[in-house]
Amino acid sequence: MARARRFHAPVAHGKARRLDSQGCCRHAPFEPSATRYPLSLAPPTSPAAPEIDLRITLGRLTLPNPILVASGTFGYAREMERLVDLSRLGGILPKTVTREARPGNAPWRTVETPSGMLNSIGLDNDGIDAFVEHHLPYLAARGAPIIVSIAGRTAEEFVEMSAMVGDAAGAAAVELNISCPNVSHGVDFGVNGVLCEKLVAACRAACRLPIIAKLTPNVTSIAEIAKAAEAGGADAISLINTCQGMAVDWRRQRPILGNVIGGLSGPAIKPIALRCVYQAAQAVTTPLIGIGGIASVDDVMEFIVAGASAVQLGTVNFYNPTVSMAVLDALPAAIATLGATGVAEVVGSLQLKRN
Amino acid sequence: MSSQCSMEANPLGAAYYADQALQTSATIVENVRLASGTYRVRLEAPELARRVAPGQFLMLRLTGGSDPLLGRPLALYDTWLDADGRPRGVDVVYLVVGRMTSRLAQVKAGDVIETWGPLGNGFSTEPVDHLIMVAGGIGQTPFLALGREALGGRDYGEAVRRPLRAQRATLCYGVRNVDLLAGVDDFRAAGIDVRVSSDDGSVGRKGLVTETLGELLDEAATDPGTSVRIACCGPERMMEAVAHLAIQRGVACEVSLETPMACGIGICFSCVVKVRQPDGEWDYKRTCVEGPVFAAKQIEW
Repeated sequence: MARARRFHAPVAHGKARRLDSQGCCRHAPFEPSATRYPLSLAPPTSPAAPEIDLRITLGRLTLPNPILVASGTFGYAREMERLVDLSRLGGILPKTVTREARPGNAPWRTVETPSGMLNSIGLDNDGIDAFVEHHLPYLAARGAPIIVSIAGRTAEEFVEMSAMVGDAAGAAAVELNISCPNVSHGVDFGVNGVLCEKLVAACRAACRLPIIAKLTPNVTSIAEIAKAAEAGGADAISLINTCQGMAVDWRRQRPILGNVIGGLSGPAIKPIALRCVYQAAQAVTTPLIGIGGIASVDDVMEFIVAGASAVQLGTVNFYNPTVSMAVLDALPAAIATLGATGVAEVVGSLQLKRN
Repeated sequence: MSSQCSMEANPLGAAYYADQALQTSATIVENVRLASGTYRVRLEAPELARRVAPGQFLMLRLTGGSDPLLGRPLALYDTWLDADGRPRGVDVVYLVVGRMTSRLAQVKAGDVIETWGPLGNGFSTEPVDHLIMVAGGIGQTPFLALGREALGGRDYGEAVRRPLRAQRATLCYGVRNVDLLAGVDDFRAAGIDVRVSSDDGSVGRKGLVTETLGELLDEAATDPGTSVRIACCGPERMMEAVAHLAIQRGVACEVSLETPMACGIGICFSCVVKVRQPDGEWDYKRTCVEGPVFAAKQIEW
């Protein structure tokens, strides 16, 4: 196969299109620090570790543990197979697929910013036909639940793709990417509650698999959108996608990103993401999946305590490719630190000060 | 070629999927200045050193903070060996250009740095009579190991690839001025014929590296029995000029591209370049996993 990762048949001018595609805290606060555990608690040999139940339930979806890897930050998983034991992951979200192949945005596509990065990749992908034919069979055989991230330009495309993923063997759930800031129309369903509810309901009706809605933080009220996703029947709500941002080269008087505006991710957005998870947790009973700047087991625990049943590791995969394994190793001891025997016990265990 | 083998075996078709890569914390053995703003950092990383091949790169990331956040892709300069001749670690030569490299220049022996690799496809190992390496700026760094292997000085990359062999290895090395000339002694010690040129004439001949290359190609043309291949790395405009010259003269040419990367392992889709496909159309390809070495004629400059 000389055509690299792209598949399908040639079409006219490559410029526009892709051709050959392709709990409750009874103890002192858990201190974020470099040395996170005493050696006696160090996983995976910790005596406490085997007693911790890591399983979590997201509506109709049950996952072996709450450590997932976020769409767009893990390729199609194949790229990571020598670095990560894929079978240990609570879930893998391959790069978002669209109905048709997309070449993505012009470079520069990423720029580093303080404790973060901006991206404007633009959903570079081979389209869902190539995904179902070439990527899904590989992914399905990895031993981890596969949650397929899809993005449509229209409700019809979302519905059609949900059905296609449901009909193909190998996926455990569908995540609706209604929050990509780098493509036109991609974000509409994530900022308008009425559209969001209808879309989630329509996808749920068309697909046998659990449906997850991934929300953008770039809205006035994240709680309203979360309620809409819940009303539409979402099994879970992922939040957050990237925060819109920009970088400027003042000497050249130009934007640095080829697409001018991009999405900010990494540790810089963690407080925003935590706030969103907290607000959504107050507004809905639908299980939440926390995303945004998570880079360590301490970060994971912060999101779980704030209300997330699971988390997705994103940008950290870029700068610490084996982080998911380290977090999985450390998680049981962290749960045990709160005196709990399972993840579910500590979800949303945040204690608010009372007057 | 190993890259082609893995391409055949890989149903997704990418030439290289970090299939030898590992992530490790490496101890800095030394970090020495070679030229103006130019340093060679030596890492202790035996496993990585056993696997890495010329033209491949590794990601280096400073530990203990989130700013700078990302790792940086840096080419293999050379491996270094223990007393018994076994690979013990890697050398990387870098130019201070931004926040990460300016901090890297402060790193001292005994410090620890995070690294993952080896990454990328590396240069072709097809045997050739005369290997002409063309470098501009800091683009000489991938060529020490390549030239050393070509001349039989050392084989790289365990047994998964066949080593490159050439009768002769020449480095055409262009710099802005003498202060930036880095590593020439290393190249000469490896038996590589070094032809230096500089923009201001402060070292070597005054002029462009392509002039030196043109003369070498003229010389090669008088001996049609001798096969020639160009390997090129440097500023984009220089690589473009070298690519055009090579195409004009009908000489095989590979370019090692440098594009901004976030991950180095194929998962972020940042580092794409326009690569011409067999049907004549271009497609975005990831420099990290499908390069960084491409046939010059494939690149849409």
